[in-house]
Amino acid sequence: MSESFEPKIVGFLCNWCSYAGADLAGTSRMSYPQNVRIIRVPCSGRVDPLFVVKTLIDGADGVMVLGCHPGDCHYQQGNYIAQRRYSIMHRLLEFSGLETDRLFVDWVSASEGKKFSEVVTSFTEKVRNIGPNPLRKKAESGIDVLEEVSS
Amino acid sequence: MTKNSAPRMPIDPECCPAPGDTENINSPNLKAENFQQNESMNKDKPRIGVYVCMCGSNIAGTVNVPKVVEAVSHMPNVVVARYNKYTCSGPGQQSIQEDIKANKLNRVVVSACSPRMHERTWRAMLTNAGVNPYLLEVANLREHVSWIHSAGEMTTRKAVDLVAAAIERVALHDPLFPQRVPVTKAAMVVGGGIAGIQASLDLAQAGVPVYLVEREPSIGGHMAQLDKTFPTLDCSACILTPKMVDVASHPNITLLSNSEVEKLDGFIGNFQVTVRRKARYVDVDACTACNDCVKVCPVQIPSEFENGMAERTAIYRPFAQAVPNAFAIDKRGEAPCKAACPAGIHVQGFVALIAEGRFKEAYDLIQKDMPFPGICGRVCHHPCETECRRAEKDQPVAIEFLKRYAADWAFTHPEEFVENTAVYNLKGDDLAGKKIAIIGSGPVGLTVARDLAANSAECEIFEALPVAGGMMNVGIPGHRLPKQILEKEINDIVSLPGIKLHLSTPVSLAPEVNASAMTLERLRQDFDAVFVGIGAHLGSRMGIPGEDLEGVYSGIEFLRQVNFSHLNVDLGSQPKVGKRVAVVGGGNVAIDAAMTARRLGAEEVSIIYRRTRDEMPAHDWEIEEAADEGIKFIFLANPLEVIADQGSVSAIKCQRMRLGAPDSSGRRRPEPIEGDTVTLPMDTVIMSIGQKLDAESIEINQGSKGWIAVDPQTFQTSERDVFAAGDAVTGPVSIVEVVGTGHQAAESIRRFLCGQELLAGLKQGKTTKETPGYYEPAAWDRTPRQEISFREAADRNDFDEIYLGFTEDQAVAEAKRCLSCAACSECLACVDACGVGAIDHTAVDTFEQIDVGAIIIASGFDVWDPTPMLEYGYGVYPEVYTGIEIERLSNASGPTEGNIVMRNGEKPERVAILHCVGSRDEHHQPYCSRICCMYSLKLAHLIREKTSAEVVEFYMDIRSFGKGYEEFYERVQHEGVVFVRGRGAQVLPQDDQLVVYAEDTDLGQPVRLPVDMVILATGVVPSKGADELAHKLHVTRDINGFFLEAHPKLRPVDSNTDGIYLAGTCQAPRDIPDTVTHASAAAAQALGLLSQPYVEVVPTIAEVDELNCVGCSLCVEVCPYGAPTLAENRGRLVSKINEALCKGCGLCVAGCRGKAIALRGFTDNQLLSQIETLLQFSMDER
Repeated sequence: MSESFEPKIVGFLCNWCSYAGADLAGTSRMSYPQNVRIIRVPCSGRVDPLFVVKTLIDGADGVMVLGCHPGDCHYQQGNYIAQRRYSIMHRLLEFSGLETDRLFVDWVSASEGKKFSEVVTSFTEKVRNIGPNPLRKKAESGIDVLEEVSS
Repeated sequence: MTKNSAPRMPIDPECCPAPGDTENINSPNLKAENFQQNESMNKDKPRIGVYVCMCGSNIAGTVNVPKVVEAVSHMPNVVVARYNKYTCSGPGQQSIQEDIKANKLNRVVVSACSPRMHERTWRAMLTNAGVNPYLLEVANLREHVSWIHSAGEMTTRKAVDLVAAAIERVALHDPLFPQRVPVTKAAMVVGGGIAGIQASLDLAQAGVPVYLVEREPSIGGHMAQLDKTFPTLDCSACILTPKMVDVASHPNITLLSNSEVEKLDGFIGNFQVTVRRKARYVDVDACTACNDCVKVCPVQIPSEFENGMAERTAIYRPFAQAVPNAFAIDKRGEAPCKAACPAGIHVQGFVALIAEGRFKEAYDLIQKDMPFPGICGRVCHHPCETECRRAEKDQPVAIEFLKRYAADWAFTHPEEFVENTAVYNLKGDDLAGKKIAIIGSGPVGLTVARDLAANSAECEIFEALPVAGGMMNVGIPGHRLPKQILEKEINDIVSLPGIKLHLSTPVSLAPEVNASAMTLERLRQDFDAVFVGIGAHLGSRMGIPGEDLEGVYSGIEFLRQVNFSHLNVDLGSQPKVGKRVAVVGGGNVAIDAAMTARRLGAEEVSIIYRRTRDEMPAHDWEIEEAADEGIKFIFLANPLEVIADQGSVSAIKCQRMRLGAPDSSGRRRPEPIEGDTVTLPMDTVIMSIGQKLDAESIEINQGSKGWIAVDPQTFQTSERDVFAAGDAVTGPVSIVEVVGTGHQAAESIRRFLCGQELLAGLKQGKTTKETPGYYEPAAWDRTPRQEISFREAADRNDFDEIYLGFTEDQAVAEAKRCLSCAACSECLACVDACGVGAIDHTAVDTFEQIDVGAIIIASGFDVWDPTPMLEYGYGVYPEVYTGIEIERLSNASGPTEGNIVMRNGEKPERVAILHCVGSRDEHHQPYCSRICCMYSLKLAHLIREKTSAEVVEFYMDIRSFGKGYEEFYERVQHEGVVFVRGRGAQVLPQDDQLVVYAEDTDLGQPVRLPVDMVILATGVVPSKGADELAHKLHVTRDINGFFLEAHPKLRPVDSNTDGIYLAGTCQAPRDIPDTVTHASAAAAQALGLLSQPYVEVVPTIAEVDELNCVGCSLCVEVCPYGAPTLAENRGRLVSKINEALCKGCGLCVAGCRGKAIALRGFTDNQLLSQIETLLQFSMDER
């Protein structure tokens, strides 16, 4: 682990709660590390497991999926489905030899700007401690991991 | 007056499309011809314009904007890349539109603030420039970059990543066309406080049909509780109640009071709301608000409207000017005592009536369900007391003794019951002309006869014995149940018109017809139905040697003979007891037999039981009574033989036992200790080990242990016209249970004779005290349970009663211990009192679906309860009040008729008002509630005006921000109110006063101030149930639980869900002028929506690639809206999305195994390219 290791993190945030929470963190100037890149999705239930796999294969060191609190889902039950999906996803990561902590699922409401900034800060620190994604080097050197696996 | 029952607004079918029926009409700007010139551009190779906004210095101060532009300008498809000072401004938009024309741009990336802020702005800009508005991507460089990161390389690099990813993604966008759906021209307002009232009136005035849903029985909210309003000192009621009346009389407003939103379906412009119309038990249209019901209601519980400072009845109207002006009954489920009673006695009702000294009504109420109040008041095993919620506080209410009191009162006041009391039970003439034979005149037979006679049937009772009453009469000794009470209560029934009693008329149930005897067969020929209630009058025998000796009785036989002698019936030999009597058995009959034997002169009576006292089935209190009278108990002994000396009993030989493993009943099974026997000298042995059916072979089917077999719910036997219940069916049980089964059997017979379905609507299961929702009194009278007086054991040598009953004072005091936990006691007094027949205690909640285009939430606030702040002693020291309580004291219609006085009725001489109680406090509410400063000033003024008391305000800051507020503050200062700058720290009692401790921060020293009264200026919190409402309506709330507005500055009345608006304090604390303003604003927003003919539905919804779909139906399972269904296409099943139902969540898309569903605007390819670019672009940079 190099001392200057800056993890790259992709966050999938639902439009109604978590993305609004991230906006509120911005409006309230609640700073957090620059490492996270946010992708807006309609619902945490829209996040296809494929996106998580793709993100890690492309070299991200951590993936966050943030949705509405249980019971608060704008689409009634999308976050429940996301939760079920990602408890299975953790096992897939374990199976493929990646640290399961690289995938983080949590609930951040539209009013929780502070929580969002705390979540990002602590997850960044966690991923920093885990170290670089082993697939990152391959991604950087242009090796197509999928092709390598299938060959 | 009210229009609660008015038909729903007829919905024009043109306006409200059925799902799937929606038109796909493009807006004028989006019509295909407008795109013709650009069509080729949209489909051609992407030509992207990238605009990075500096947002003044908001973005440019942190992000190196020129560098971002430079970094992305060479990306594929990027034709133009520029930065603007303010992209959202007119010039900013204009420059983009010019670029679109000049460079034939067909896609645009704006890198600026959050898309939640200005995405709509730029979509409109693209539309105006002739580009499909969905060919836009917004990169969030402000909220997600510049505002939270410091300037530097890393920050700029993050901005570059986001913009690059947006560029890659926008290249994959397709033009999308929003669907247009007609708008339902109606609105729903949830909450009937001043905000809801204002919003409803504004909408109704504009011609919109409004449904105003209020969960309380009246609209008005908190404003109705206030006395004066600051700063003008207008009378609150004077300005509010006219508006309430306007609501009630407005032709466009349908008021749904006592109702709650249950469920929301649909979407903006097309909501379907399911409303629960809670049972009010009073017909709003029929009720004339005459108050007659209140006069007879015996239940008093604290009035919510008076903040608990006055009481109200269970049937009530929150306040005199209520709208609708009709009463409602407060029921909190079925009282646990009533629910526990097998006979269904209205227990809480008669207890409440006794508490008011209304003994005749109490007796009449008991009589409705229990034909034997005096009997049951003496020998009941009272499961009601086991379930009584007072038992959780100290001891249960003495329900059985209260019932006895009512019955004894009826016995000693025959003049009050000139008409036979049971007659009022006449329910109808369903059974006129029908004849029913009833075999057995025990409690079950008499109950069935009474119930059927009440339906005008002719009942003939056939009793084998020379006396009526069955086991009540011949099985229970007089010291427990006096004969005169029995006689009265049996007579009350057999003297009813329609009932004939034949004593000494045994009926044979045997199948073979005996010409001389009355038989079941003959009764079935002569009567329309037969009821068998023959009880269990045969004592079981152990089958041990010596059981046939003279001096050995069965318990049943023994008691029957003794009772016969008391009833002056000469029938067989009277039992004789010797000096030493053994009673074998552990049940109540054994106890009765033992105590009877003692009264007949036995010197030593022993109860022999094979287990221990803990396993004895007899009631505890009966065992104690026996022990008090000197009855001995010999446990763990089982008779082996009765030994005779010269033909009569001389001893009993018993096997010693020990307890083994528990048996199926849960009691430990007795096991013999081999070789250990004991012989006890005895002169008389009474075997009381169980009872059997006194019939050997019978015509109808028998079940286990020889009892008559019946359907457990209908009590029908194997013969359709023969019903049976009571001990003969269940084995020996208590009278109250037998009465309960009698009621059910009688109902079955009624249905059978009327040709109705026997099982329909029979109640299943019972509620218990664990059922949530019961009224929980904050305080209760700590009076202990009344002790019933009884005769000392030494005096109890005759068959007079052991217990003497309550005195009138005792009965009233005991009845007052009832917590009224179900609120309404169901005494039914109001039903009789109501002249217009508006009351129906059997009403149930109903549901109504209402279609509306817009919803306004105006669910209001609750005043915070300062009990958790122990330092102020609210609820401990009586002279500590909340502001709203003083409002009620000051209000002329309040509990003190407008006098601000202490609990002792005297005017205070000095009053302290503590500001910011629980507000601006990280332990409670971090926020300022905005109203407390001003209402504290108002209360100070009112107190000065009404009492001349000295008023001292302990404050942190005075926030007098509104129009005329500062002037009012000034005025109050001049009126002599003292202001101490510093938060009240503590309130402690001293002598007859309270002392306020605080720090005077102006003086910089602690102060202590003795006062007569302390007022806590508590703030506001979201109304109870706001969380539930938020879930039902799918709207979000802020960190403090208030509903969250779409934007704190620019969209303060929109919720995050399109078509749902917020009004008043449900969104944030505010005073009345601001609330009214906010409500009118919400109404205006809703009107804006409702005045459009159509609403555009977001086009970012799911679509199925039918070629790839394998019809696995996973999408059908995951969709919360039922949008996908399987339909046949070219011979196979594929998924089809109903576009009107799809909300665009993407659950089905992520779940689709074959990747056959795409979410427009969020396709897999778009998101994958975004991911890829986010990661690769920045790595390249490194």
